[in-house]
Amino acid sequence: MAKTSERKYTPQLSGSRKSGRTGHAGRTFAIGLVAALTAGLLSGTALTAKTVSASSVPEVTLRVCNWEEYIDTGDWDEDETIHLPDGDIIGKQSMVKDFEDWYLKTYGVKVNVEYSTFGTNEDLYNMLTLGDVYDVVCPSDYMFMKLMSEDALVPLSDSFFDTSNPDNYYINGVSPYIRDIFDTKSIGGETWSKYAAGYMWGVTGVVYNPKAVTEDEASTWTLFDNPKFRRRITIKDNVRDSYFMAVGALKSELLTSGSFLQNPDYSQNLENEMNDTSSEMIKEVQSYLQNSGKADMITGKVLANYQWSGDAVYTMDQADEDNFELDFAVPKESTNIYFDGWVMLKKGINGDAGKQKAAEAFINFLSRPDNAIRNMYYIGYTSVISGGESPLIYEYLEDRYGAKDGDADTVPYDVNYFFSKGGTGDYVLTVPKEQTKRQLFAQYPDGSTIARSSIMVYFDQAQNRAINQMWVNVRCFNIKKTPWWGRILTAAALAGLVYLAVRKIRTGREEKRHRAAQDLRKAP
Amino acid sequence: MKFSRKSLGIPYLVFLVLFVVLPLIVLFWYAFTDGTGHFTMTNFTGFFTDPNALGTLLYSFAIAAVTTAVCLLLAYPTAYFLATSRLKSKSVIVMIFVMPMWINFSLRITALKEVLTVIEGNLAMHPFLNSVIGMTYDFLPFMILPIYTTISRLDGALTEAAMDLGADPRTTFLTVTLPLSVPGIISGVSMVFLPAMTNYVVLDMLYNSTYIMGSLIGSYFAAYNWNGGSMIALILLAIICLFTLLTGDDGEADAQRGGALL
Repeated sequence: MAKTSERKYTPQLSGSRKSGRTGHAGRTFAIGLVAALTAGLLSGTALTAKTVSASSVPEVTLRVCNWEEYIDTGDWDEDETIHLPDGDIIGKQSMVKDFEDWYLKTYGVKVNVEYSTFGTNEDLYNMLTLGDVYDVVCPSDYMFMKLMSEDALVPLSDSFFDTSNPDNYYINGVSPYIRDIFDTKSIGGETWSKYAAGYMWGVTGVVYNPKAVTEDEASTWTLFDNPKFRRRITIKDNVRDSYFMAVGALKSELLTSGSFLQNPDYSQNLENEMNDTSSEMIKEVQSYLQNSGKADMITGKVLANYQWSGDAVYTMDQADEDNFELDFAVPKESTNIYFDGWVMLKKGINGDAGKQKAAEAFINFLSRPDNAIRNMYYIGYTSVISGGESPLIYEYLEDRYGAKDGDADTVPYDVNYFFSKGGTGDYVLTVPKEQTKRQLFAQYPDGSTIARSSIMVYFDQAQNRAINQMWVNVRCFNIKKTPWWGRILTAAALAGLVYLAVRKIRTGREEKRHRAAQDLRKAP
Repeated sequence: MKFSRKSLGIPYLVFLVLFVVLPLIVLFWYAFTDGTGHFTMTNFTGFFTDPNALGTLLYSFAIAAVTTAVCLLLAYPTAYFLATSRLKSKSVIVMIFVMPMWINFSLRITALKEVLTVIEGNLAMHPFLNSVIGMTYDFLPFMILPIYTTISRLDGALTEAAMDLGADPRTTFLTVTLPLSVPGIISGVSMVFLPAMTNYVVLDMLYNSTYIMGSLIGSYFAAYNWNGGSMIALILLAIICLFTLLTGDDGEADAQRGGALL
């Protein structure tokens, strides 16, 4: 019942929207409002009687919630066109609009995408808990792990993984490296890939000004307590990234020791070490962040800045436009690799097959190599798509980063881990040397960087609480540290308040008495 | 249905119920329940036993108090001379003071940041000072305007009378003008002090990473602890109510007393 009423409700609203464009804006708005109100106040049954099919084309509504500025919104200038051997790429209209057109053309169904955005994973989670309903959302790895563990997600359908369907751009184009991760990482016995399809990914690192900070200085977590740059380095203002950074700095020696690096279980050990949430570690992190004024590093006149690689690319692009060089380094100890993935929500999809089909088609459309390039170009992050049979993505890399004729100092840059199965192939770019520490390196880190990357897992409630408390301890002014003059001033202020209160009560009484006396005088 | 003037209030009543009363009820509900919906006082007692929360309250008070004091010191003389001067273009000058308020808030602070960087160098070295400067910059008009209005509405005959009776200008100011402008000061103080306790955007933008009340609430929400966050909001509300009660119609009483002097 719920299923049908939902689908019948949609055409009515969108029908009115369509006629709104023809000029009866006021009336249609009223109709739309009434429809919306009825839908909200009464249950679906009341609607069935009112339902009139507005047009013969079936329609479906898809509620998408994505990160802010995380998709191409079109309107490119003609000269921004990316010319690749296998075709030109330009974003004329927004990706969402293009998807709507493509879906109508391919499946004969009109899909209305209601697109909204969120600022942080925590915001998204709060929105979902407060009752916002979306069909498909794009949280980061740890957040979709949380949603998985809460049984809030709809598994991707089998047909989504059908490689024989050419419209299944995701499964046909996703990088073997990413696919392997999504197939092996799991929570509660279920792999990520059962519920999540990757969108963008990256590592964390440091964007720095090479005139003030050397590459060696920037390539370690200990950069953050280097006294040379006191209060001139920023970190991310959120507890997870700060925690990861502090753990990396505290364990710097261990992580770079020979015995640790040569251990056959290096990757797993690294992940365990970087996700250490023992109470001793949390305590150490707190004193690390507090004692040497690390809390102040969140701010400051910036020489270096801890960033997600996608933002780093964007930052360097901007700096390039201002003729100002910034470079990117990844700590030699470890780095946080992260994935943002599309997942479908049970509450939104609600068993509606048409909706789920549209949601999966949406993911596939974004995974089409040309669209992946448009999004990458627009937002700076790296798509999980390597293209499969399509050469477009690699061509884009060559176009953007490859050495041009006349470049003197060129080096080979191996991206096989990302593009070819098993990591053996001839995906080796020839690039100007500087690109190995600039945008290319940030967008597609080299194999050795990838080897020392660790995901940051989803912490359970108790761990989360402990870490959040640690963060609050770092950020808050602790009353026990109030200096003596502070205590005196506070006491004086409190005394002043008490005095005010007493006086207030007294004058109140006086006035009453005064008024009573006046009344007495008036009464003869 | 008969139309009466009272029905003009209906739109606002609807607004009030939907967006003021209902959220407040939700706030109360969260503040006095735990994560599972059971009644609890731990959020309340937790606040007063948590050295971080109390420290944040103190720090917010300190920032707000210093900001208010600086605003008052800057605003009173300005407002006084403006109100008592015989300048013809007074309204233009008042407009100049109000003008910053017409510029987008974050843009204003960004501009201030640039200026401060030129003066101070590394802004991160003086977080408290910067926050006070930023807040003062932001809230000064709210202090000037009420004081200006109060002083310019003062009956000039009162000061004349004081002078006639032999008071020198200083005595006149201290015994007549100043007491009579107290209502303006109070409304200015409450318009500056209370927002200054929670406006953490200024701190964020000017490189002060210490939490004040606003950011503390935000951190509770980011950690999915809505119950604790709601309680802090509620405690802040209680403090504001108390503050308003203490200073509230005191001004009127003072004005009456001033009037009674005649």
